[in-house]
Amino acid sequence: MSEATAKTEERGRVPRPGEVPVTVVDCDVHPYPESPEMLREYLPEPWRSANIPTRRDIYLSPNQGQRRDARPDTGGHPGSDPALLERQLFEEAGVDYAILLPFGSVGSVPDYRHGAALATAYNDWQIDLWLGKWNGHGRYRGSIVVYEHDTEAAVREIERVAEHPGFVQVLVGTSSFEPFGKHRYHPIWEACARHGLPVAMHLNSALGAALPPTPCGYPSLFIEWHTLYCMNYMTQLVSMLCEGVFEKFPDLKMVFVEGGSAWLAPLMWRLDKDWRSVRWSVPWLKRPPSGYLRDHVRFTTQPIEEPADRRQLLTLFEMMDAEHILMFATDYPHWDFDDPGRALPPQLPAELRRRIMSENARELYSLPATRPSVSDLKPSEQPHRLS
Amino acid sequence: MGRTVVARASEIPPGGCRLILVNGEGIGVFNVAGNFYAVRNACPHQGGPLCLGEVTGTTQSDDPAEVRWVRAGEIVRCPWHNWEFDILTGRALFNPNRRVKTYPVTLEAEQGEDGSRPSDGDALVVVVEA
Repeated sequence: MSEATAKTEERGRVPRPGEVPVTVVDCDVHPYPESPEMLREYLPEPWRSANIPTRRDIYLSPNQGQRRDARPDTGGHPGSDPALLERQLFEEAGVDYAILLPFGSVGSVPDYRHGAALATAYNDWQIDLWLGKWNGHGRYRGSIVVYEHDTEAAVREIERVAEHPGFVQVLVGTSSFEPFGKHRYHPIWEACARHGLPVAMHLNSALGAALPPTPCGYPSLFIEWHTLYCMNYMTQLVSMLCEGVFEKFPDLKMVFVEGGSAWLAPLMWRLDKDWRSVRWSVPWLKRPPSGYLRDHVRFTTQPIEEPADRRQLLTLFEMMDAEHILMFATDYPHWDFDDPGRALPPQLPAELRRRIMSENARELYSLPATRPSVSDLKPSEQPHRLS
Repeated sequence: MGRTVVARASEIPPGGCRLILVNGEGIGVFNVAGNFYAVRNACPHQGGPLCLGEVTGTTQSDDPAEVRWVRAGEIVRCPWHNWEFDILTGRALFNPNRRVKTYPVTLEAEQGEDGSRPSDGDALVVVVEA
């Protein structure tokens, strides 16, 4: 960073009147339709009249996967009522900006035509409400949902909505039928890089049409599946690094959302060691595989690993270059929500905390250093109040 | 440093390697397309017998869809973990700062024990300074 830029940044942190500094960017917030039926108006026929595919969980998360206190009194799905979401996320948790990832898991829909139609519906629903009517305060950013297994449809959808200023990334699942580094997926990565849109990859294993969630088949228990789903992230990361995706698309950024991160450094040690042995098999790589992380890959914190001695996490943060690649997330309104004030180890140095809580995400998504304070907003921009 | 006469040049064919022991240290003398190079027979990684490794080429690519085969005969892969080394410089291909020791090699006219030229006159010997 140049000195001039640094000074501007410093000034940016001193809020103008009516502005407050941004201290928490939440990189994983799930907005839901009140019920899947609400999506009908965004679907063309024949899908409008058809059943709407919903998640088919086979590993049953506590509380149906939701915070029990996040259910609106109206009976809608947690994460569907902007007033409750804003109270719990903005007021109680202190989040300044929320990156929205609709949890549609459209990639687990077996019919590629239906999956692509649902992706479009989720995007139009975001544009209409969360990035439209409900975003007077400007604190939401959206994710373009795509049906990633139909590359052409995914690229068409990106081209259709990429210019909408509310969208800051493209969302794909972790389940695939071939690892994401393979060339069949490259047209999607090309479109994302060309539009300057990072790709967020979010958990959707063991839902609908997918390969078994582990290479050894189906475990019995939720606890096994939930502990092990990080294997999908490892596989996709190693694939994209080794297949040269970041050499081919130098502007591409990936965000690994909700996969954990404590495993990252040892995995990179294994990968770099193997690269030293068989570098000849990946000659398009111009650096050790781990050398692409800082320029191209980000991880979100939730669900944060919690060693009994929490200081041990600081060592892992140093090993994984958390200062540059780790971004805070709550996963609201899901059951394993991480609170911004409590999730990270208390011993975390202030500057590193600032990088993780807000700065890495602000840089990736080009978010301002300050936001308007709530009391200075016009009534139409005010967060939605609970009646 | 001392001079060691390794062999007649004709005894190490192109692509071949002759192992010698100098003051207890193993050295591999390679013939790469008629030029001779001497490399310590110990990988800087874990000490594997580098010069027993496969003499081969390597790959280059500017596009993951295409691979070129280059430098045939100029690369040796350690038999233990397959690290690639440039026989000409001793540098590892993955990182030129990881090096195996190399030694100067000269080709000299063969001399008899009494210092006279042998009868065939034009025979060359490989001499390593180690």
